[in-house]
Amino acid sequence: MQKTMQKKPSAKGVEKVTPYKVISVIILLLLSAFFIFTLYWIITGSFKDRQSVIAAKPEWFPSNPVLDNYHSLFEKPALRWLYNTVLICGATMLLTCVSASMGGYAIAKKKFAGRNLIFTIFICAMALPKQVILIPLLKQMSFLKLHNTIWAVILPNVGWPFGVFLMKQFSENIPDEMLEAARIDGAGETRTFLEIILPMIKPGIGALAIFTFITAWNDYFMQLIMLNDTNTLTISLGIAKLQAELSTDFGLIMAGAAVGSVPIIIVFLIFQRYFTRGITMGAVKG
Amino acid sequence: MQISSKHSMRMARRRENISGYLFMAPSLLFFIGFVIFPMGMCLVTSFFNYTMMDFSFIGLKNYSEMFADSVFIKSLVNTIVIVVVSVPITCVFSLWVASLIYKMKDVYTSFFRCVFYLPVVTGSVAVTVVWKWIFNNYYGLLNYVAKNLGLISTNVNWIGNSNTALGCIIMILLTTSVGQPIVLYTSALSNVDKSLIEAAQVDGATNLQTFWYIKWPQIMYTTLYILIITTINSFQCFALIQLLTSGGPNYSTSTIMYYIYYNAFKLSRYGYGSAMGIFLAAIIAIFSALQFKVAKTDNG
Amino acid sequence: MKKMLAVLLSVFMVLSLTAIAEEAVEITLWTFPVGGWSKSEVVDEILANFNEVHPNIKVTVQYLDYQSGDDQVTAAIEAGTTPDIIMEGPERLVTNWGAAGKMLDLAELWTEEAQADINAKSPAIVSACKSPDGVFYEYPLCMTTHTMTINKQYFEQADALKYLDEETRTWTTDDFVSACRALRDAGFIPGIVYCGGHGGDQGTRALAMNLYSAKFTNPEHTAYTMDSEEGIKGLTLLQDMVKEGALQADPAIVAGDEIALFCNGTAAMSFCWNAGAAETNKASLADNVTSFPMAFPSDDGVPELCGGIWGFGIFDNKDEAKAKAAVEFIRFVCDDVEQGPKSVYATSFFPVRESFGDIYAGTDKEDRAEFAIFLPFLGDYYNVTSGWTVQRAEWWNLLQRIFAGGDVAAEVAVYIENSNASIK
Repeated sequence: MQKTMQKKPSAKGVEKVTPYKVISVIILLLLSAFFIFTLYWIITGSFKDRQSVIAAKPEWFPSNPVLDNYHSLFEKPALRWLYNTVLICGATMLLTCVSASMGGYAIAKKKFAGRNLIFTIFICAMALPKQVILIPLLKQMSFLKLHNTIWAVILPNVGWPFGVFLMKQFSENIPDEMLEAARIDGAGETRTFLEIILPMIKPGIGALAIFTFITAWNDYFMQLIMLNDTNTLTISLGIAKLQAELSTDFGLIMAGAAVGSVPIIIVFLIFQRYFTRGITMGAVKG
Repeated sequence: MQISSKHSMRMARRRENISGYLFMAPSLLFFIGFVIFPMGMCLVTSFFNYTMMDFSFIGLKNYSEMFADSVFIKSLVNTIVIVVVSVPITCVFSLWVASLIYKMKDVYTSFFRCVFYLPVVTGSVAVTVVWKWIFNNYYGLLNYVAKNLGLISTNVNWIGNSNTALGCIIMILLTTSVGQPIVLYTSALSNVDKSLIEAAQVDGATNLQTFWYIKWPQIMYTTLYILIITTINSFQCFALIQLLTSGGPNYSTSTIMYYIYYNAFKLSRYGYGSAMGIFLAAIIAIFSALQFKVAKTDNG
Repeated sequence: MKKMLAVLLSVFMVLSLTAIAEEAVEITLWTFPVGGWSKSEVVDEILANFNEVHPNIKVTVQYLDYQSGDDQVTAAIEAGTTPDIIMEGPERLVTNWGAAGKMLDLAELWTEEAQADINAKSPAIVSACKSPDGVFYEYPLCMTTHTMTINKQYFEQADALKYLDEETRTWTTDDFVSACRALRDAGFIPGIVYCGGHGGDQGTRALAMNLYSAKFTNPEHTAYTMDSEEGIKGLTLLQDMVKEGALQADPAIVAGDEIALFCNGTAAMSFCWNAGAAETNKASLADNVTSFPMAFPSDDGVPELCGGIWGFGIFDNKDEAKAKAAVEFIRFVCDDVEQGPKSVYATSFFPVRESFGDIYAGTDKEDRAEFAIFLPFLGDYYNVTSGWTVQRAEWWNLLQRIFAGGDVAAEVAVYIENSNASIK
C-alpha cells in the first residue's frame, strides 16, 4: 500500500500525498478485501466437510479439505446446467444485439412517423421488473408450447427495450453527413447499415453484449418460473435447489456456487481488458 | 416544378417510413410480443378474480383490496426504501472509488476495477447463498467475528430480525451493483479533457470546483446511464429476497415484486397479482420517464 | 358405404389391438424428495424393475424439492406442461390439485382388496386420499408419523432425562418445560422454533397443538381451529418459553436449517424428525449428539402425531394411453408383492399396506423399527382441509408475529380469519 502511494505521484506526477488520500486508499483496500472475501468463502467452503461447515467456530481455511461436496454435486447434471446457462445467455445476447442495433439506428436516424411515441413507450417500459407480467407470460409461453424450453427465458429478455435505448444513444453520434454521402454514392439501406453504421456503433454493441450476457446470467427469476425439467435447469436454479428440506448443507451449496461462478470469473479475468473497455466505450460518450 | 418537388418529398418520407419500420421490425416484434402484449393481458386479468379454479369479472375489486392490504403497503414501502437508499449510495460510492482509482497506475486501476466487479460476475444466486451462510445466527461468520471483536455480546440474528433484515438485503444488493458504475465512472473520468482541468487549476480553482464545473458536466451522460441501470437492478432484486428471507420476518423484507410472485405462486391468486403488477408498472413508467427528463434537461 | 364401414371397423380393431399389446408410451414422473425417492440411483433401480415387466413404457423422472417444487407444479399447471405421475402427499394431490380438477380419479387402483388392506393399517390413510366428494386422487405408498428428537447426551449432562419416559417415548407438557429449563441452565440451547418459511411446519404445528391437546381443524375439516382456548394456551406457552430462554425462536430458518443445528450439537432437540430425516442425517451427527426420537409433549401425556402420507397421483393430461401407462406404473410400484416393499424400503418410511408387515426386519435399516413405536399415535390427517396452502403461509407468519412479541389471541384471530377465508 505504501508503495502505491509513493508510486502514484511519480507515475503521473500531478498530485501530492495528502492524509485524505492515505485514508481513502486504506479504506479502498479494506473494501477490496471484503469484496474478494465472499468469493474466497465460497471456494473454501466448498471443500469443507459437513461438520466444519456448520461449526460454531468457523474455519478460516478448511482444516480437513474434502471433495465430497463436488462428488455429490456432480451426481446431479451440474455440467448440463452450466451448458444450458451459457446457451441461454449466448442466444439472448446475440438476438438482442441484432435487433437492438437495428432498432436503435432507426430511432436515431430515421424520421419515420410515430418515432417519438415508440421511443417514449420504450423509455417507460425500460425499468419494468419482469415479475409484473409473469402470469400472462407464463400463459403465453404455454400457448406457444415454449414453456420449459430455454426460449421461454430468452425471448422476454430480448424484448426488453433497454438495448434499443442504448443503441439509439450510439447511433445519434453518427454524423448525418456520412449518411448523406452514402446515399449520394448510391448505397442501399442494407449496405449503409452494414458498412457504415455497424462499424461506427461497434463499441456500443460490445457494451450491450456484455450487459445482456450478465443480465441473462443473473436472471434467476425467469428461469425459476419457466424451467422445471432437470435437463433444462440453469446453474442458478441448480444451486437454489440444493437447499433441501430436511438438511441444509452449505458445503454442497458452496460447491454449486463455485461451479456456477468460477468459470465466468476466469473468463472475465482473461478478457477483463476488453470487457471493461467494451462497457465503458459504450456508455461514456453520449 | 412545385408539384414534382412536393411529390418527391412525399416519396422520400414514405421511403423513410418504410425503411424505419423495417429496421424497427425485429425489436418491435419482440417488444410487442413479449412485453406489450403480456402487459395488456395483465391489465385485463387484473379485473378478474382469477385463481386456479375461478375466472370471473370483479371490476376494480382487486385494486380496492390492494390498497387495504397492509402487506401490500408494507411491500410498497420496502420497495421504495430499497430504491431510494441503494440508488444514490451506489452512484456516490462508485464515483468516489472511481475518482480515487482512475489516476493510479494501470495495474492498480484494473486491480480495483476487477475486485469491485467480482460480485457481478459471481452471479446473484451464488452471492446470496454465501451471504445466507455468513449471516447465519449460529454458525455464521459475521456473528463469530463481531463477537470476537467485541462489537456484540450475543449472537445477532441478522436476517431473522425485522430491524436488520432489510439492511442486510440492501447491503448485499450494493455489493452486486457497484461494479458496473465503477468501471463506467473510471473511464468517464479519464476521458475528461485534461487541458480544461489544467486551465482551471491555473486559474486557481480548488479540487472541488474543478470537479463540479469541469468534470461533472462531462460525466453527466454516464451518470444518467448509471442511474438507469441501478434503478432497474434495485427494482428487480428478487433472488436475494426469495432465497434469503422469503419476504420475512413478518413481511419486513417483502417487496412488491416478491409479493406478486407470492400471490401468484403460493396462493394462486393470479388476478390479484396482476393488479399489483399494473400498479407497479404505472409507478415505474412515470418514475423512469421523470428521471430521464430531469437528467436530459440537466445535460442541457 | 359398407366398404367404408368395414375399413373403419378394421382400423378401429387394429387400433384397439395395439393398445392391448401395450404401445410404446413415454410418461413423466415428478417426485418430491420422499426419502430415497430423491436419489436417482434408487429410482433408476425401481424403473429398471418396472421395465422388465413393462418394457414399452418409458418413464422419465424429474426430482422436485420442497423449496420451489410447488411453484414449479403451479407453473406447469398454468402452462399445461404437467407430468403424468406425481409423488407427494394428499395435502397437495387431493386438497390442492385434485380439488382444482387437475387430477384423475384413481378408483381403478383402489380395489376392495387394497381398501381393506390399507384400512387395516389406519382408516385415516384411506380418508386422506379421498376428496370430500369421495373421489380418490391419491394412491398411497408409505406413511409415517412426524416426531421430534432430542440429543440424549445433552439431556444427560443437564440431568433432564428424568423428565421423559424412555419406554413409551412420551412426556407431559410440564416435564417438557422443566427439561427445557434444565437444558437452558446447563448452558445449552434447548430447541429452536423455526418459522422462516413453510419448510417442515408439521413440526411447529404438532408442538403447538399437543402442548394443551388443541385441535388444528374441526373433525369435518371445514375450519381451522387453533383459536380455541387450548390452541392459544399452547402458543402462549411457547411465547413465554422463548421470552425466558427455555426455547429460542428463529424467523430466519426453516426445518432443514434447524435439523442441521441439531446435528452439529447447537440445539438440544429438533422439532422436525421422522424415519426419513434420521436416515438422511445419519452421517452428519456430531460426536456429542445421540439422537433419541420422542413424541411431542402433551398435557395428558397422550400425543396426537401428525401423519405423513406419500403416494402417487395422475395429472389429467387428456391422453388416455399415458394415463393407462401411469396406472400400470403405480400398480407395479405400490402393489406388486415383490416391488411394493422395495419401493417402501427406498423411502425409509412405513408401508400403508398392513399385509407388507415389517419390511425392515433383517435389513440394514433395522433401526427404523424405533419409529414404529410412534405409529399408534397417528392423529387426524387434517392436512386435507381446503385452503391448506394459504394456511401454511399464514402459519409461519403467525409464529413470526407471536415471537416478535405480538398479542397471541389477536394474532391468532388474524391467522384464523385469513386461513378460513380461503376455505372453499
